[in-house]
Amino acid sequence: MIFSSIPFLYYFLPAVILLYFIVPKKMANSVLLLASLFFYGYGEPKMLPVMIMTIIAAWSLGLAIPKHKNCFYLSAAICLGLLVWFKGGFAGNALPAGISFYTFQILSYTIDLRREHIKPQKSLRDFAMYVSLFPQLIAGPIVVYSTVEDSLDPLKRKTTAEDLYEGSCRFVFGLAKKVLLANNLGQFVSIFQNTAADDRSVVFYWAYALAFSMQIYFDFSGYSDMAIGLGRIFGFSFPENFNYPFISKSITEFWRRWHMTLGGWFREYVYIPLGGNRVSRGRWIFNIFVVWALTGLWHGVQWTFLTWGLYFGILLMAEKLWLGRLLDKLPTWAQHLYTVILVVFSMVLFNADTIGDAAACIGAMLGLAGLGTGTGIPFAGALGSYYIKSFGTLFVVSIVASTPICRKLSQFKYANELKPVLVIVLLLLVTAYLVDGSYNPFLYFRF
Amino acid sequence: MKNIKLIIVAAVFFLISAACWLTPDKEFSQSERRPLAQKPEINIQNLLSGQLESDAEKYTADQFPLREQLRSLKALTEYGLFMKKDNNDIYIQDSHAAKILYPYSEKSVSNATSIFGEIYESFIQDTDSAGNGRIFVSVIPDKGYYLAEEKGCPHIDYDKLFAQVIEEMDYARYIDLTGTLEADSYYRTDLHWRQEKILPAAEALGRAMGLELAGLDDLRQITATDSFAGVYKGQSGLPLKAEPLIYLTDDMIEGCKTFNYETNQEGKVYDLEKLSGRDPYDVFVSGASALITIENPEAAKKTDRELIIFRDSFGSSLAPLLLSDYAKITLVDLRYIKPSYLNQFIDFEGQDILFIYGTTLLNDSYTIKR
Repeated sequence: MIFSSIPFLYYFLPAVILLYFIVPKKMANSVLLLASLFFYGYGEPKMLPVMIMTIIAAWSLGLAIPKHKNCFYLSAAICLGLLVWFKGGFAGNALPAGISFYTFQILSYTIDLRREHIKPQKSLRDFAMYVSLFPQLIAGPIVVYSTVEDSLDPLKRKTTAEDLYEGSCRFVFGLAKKVLLANNLGQFVSIFQNTAADDRSVVFYWAYALAFSMQIYFDFSGYSDMAIGLGRIFGFSFPENFNYPFISKSITEFWRRWHMTLGGWFREYVYIPLGGNRVSRGRWIFNIFVVWALTGLWHGVQWTFLTWGLYFGILLMAEKLWLGRLLDKLPTWAQHLYTVILVVFSMVLFNADTIGDAAACIGAMLGLAGLGTGTGIPFAGALGSYYIKSFGTLFVVSIVASTPICRKLSQFKYANELKPVLVIVLLLLVTAYLVDGSYNPFLYFRF
Repeated sequence: MKNIKLIIVAAVFFLISAACWLTPDKEFSQSERRPLAQKPEINIQNLLSGQLESDAEKYTADQFPLREQLRSLKALTEYGLFMKKDNNDIYIQDSHAAKILYPYSEKSVSNATSIFGEIYESFIQDTDSAGNGRIFVSVIPDKGYYLAEEKGCPHIDYDKLFAQVIEEMDYARYIDLTGTLEADSYYRTDLHWRQEKILPAAEALGRAMGLELAGLDDLRQITATDSFAGVYKGQSGLPLKAEPLIYLTDDMIEGCKTFNYETNQEGKVYDLEKLSGRDPYDVFVSGASALITIENPEAAKKTDRELIIFRDSFGSSLAPLLLSDYAKITLVDLRYIKPSYLNQFIDFEGQDILFIYGTTLLNDSYTIKR
């Protein structure tokens, strides 16, 4: 089930909210667990047993870890084995939705148990609820066990009226990002992809790359907003996952603002245990490459994702070694331009089926298509112009929405009074788009 | 204050949810001319195959309360707020709603012409129709032919499509209609042409086929309804103004009898009962049907000439205009009948043959049965 669908929005969610607040407090976790299993099983019935078995294995081995440290290896091997099995394509095309997210959550629990940072969760129900909690089960944010440990106790978890209101608003804003912006940008991306190569132009390629970059941002950050909002409704405080990444002035800053919980996870559980930067230069370079290769592979065992991860590894290393100092001397606009262009190139690679396709696309963006063969593409063409004009306003709205301008607008005098009106208008608009639209799953479901 | 805001937001949310649960299901969307998805069957097989999820998506979207109004809201947002040039591929130009026809599918056109070719080889090649050169083909351009360029929106290469049809159907004489039509020859809210505006097209066909078409200019215009809302109104979701649907008739046409092989029913050329049906355009020879014959007793007094029209829905409004020269016209819609069944119903024995199809169908011809 996806958040941006009518069955979730107007059937599942109201029923779960009502049930959650009607039942006695001690049964709240049971409601959330059953709802989460239904949520997952409805969309991924064949993969539900995989998740349940993983949960049971991790929970039972977790109980043993404090006394038998070796159980950690077995637990980690099961989790990582399943992840590699499915992501590596050993199970054919079968891929449990959200497996990368819930596996990393389980791993954080297992590793922290071994480190004795936390105590084992004695209740299978509460542990299963932590792993399968539907607001963030499918596409994050990755919630490290220690950050929600206390909230897992239904008697300690509280939802105030403010939580309900702010959580609802956050959820609707995320929903609007997904449905009004990401899906619409996705429409442009599909149009480009379905366009015959002869009808493409340099400008059209650039517009596609920008549209996809913004699509994935609004898609993923919209999901995170919805997850955080829903979490708040049910009394959880989930970590932020995005912080306006497109305003970054360097790739280093970009990764401090993009998919923050994944970056944080790798820093905490891979980079620092490897020694971080408090090692020799050679070892440090090795550490960086390991982390970024894994970051790439986390998205899928494909050459494109591995290259994508290493691309960022190289850029981050270059910025730390010398490029960063050079960047500091550039005017601010040039720093932004540098970051946006490199990020856009990375997204082309991210969305390509093969490295060759990505190279061809980036080549076309640079006007190098058909170089030497005389079969180049025009700088601009009628088809691209039509669609760029048609989607122009959406591009402008998306660019504005990817900056903190909206947050600043919320500080105006009557912003608080107008907020519920805006939320209702957005909810109606989103509903109108869902009623008229087709099936649009989240991009990060495949990870 | 926070509580009041919460109550307002929650009330709207739960009210919409309650409306979803309580609104009775509908069967058909008049504006989109399509049946609405019904409650999905809940069983293990559907659940495991993922069918249940996709069916539930379609069902809840199709049965959503105030669906038409919400679709209009979306269309207005697309045009008004996002200033898109089209919504669901439908654009507005010169007060006409038209659909983007792009990209050009050479393969689809070949699919259609190869089926026509098989029909020619199986039933027509050895008859007088072929011997006397009485096989004709024509392509009806969609509205986009007249509007897309002006709008600046993508469109197929029409000349390429026409040339492909001419080349692949070299056994038939091609009749060009492009110069006889204009944007206003079509309904503003629908894909079809208006019968009262296609007399020049009928005359062009008549000239090429050697027909007299007596009385064509004297036909009476009857307004069947003033509130015809075409399929593009529904598809675009825009609150477009309804328009009149007019048909042309005279005593000869009134005296003709139709027979529908699908329903086994006799009827009249203009089926006025269809005005209150799913698509008022079906008023013309009862709309799309596998096989319909029109017998013209008046013409039969002077001639035994017959015509077989292989057609899509455009042919329904054209056929009555050609009736004066024929004792019998047979309308074949290959979307609903396999070519191999044709000789069970039609004796191919030297009738005039006209293949006439719209560009929209030719460019996506896989609904034609093989």
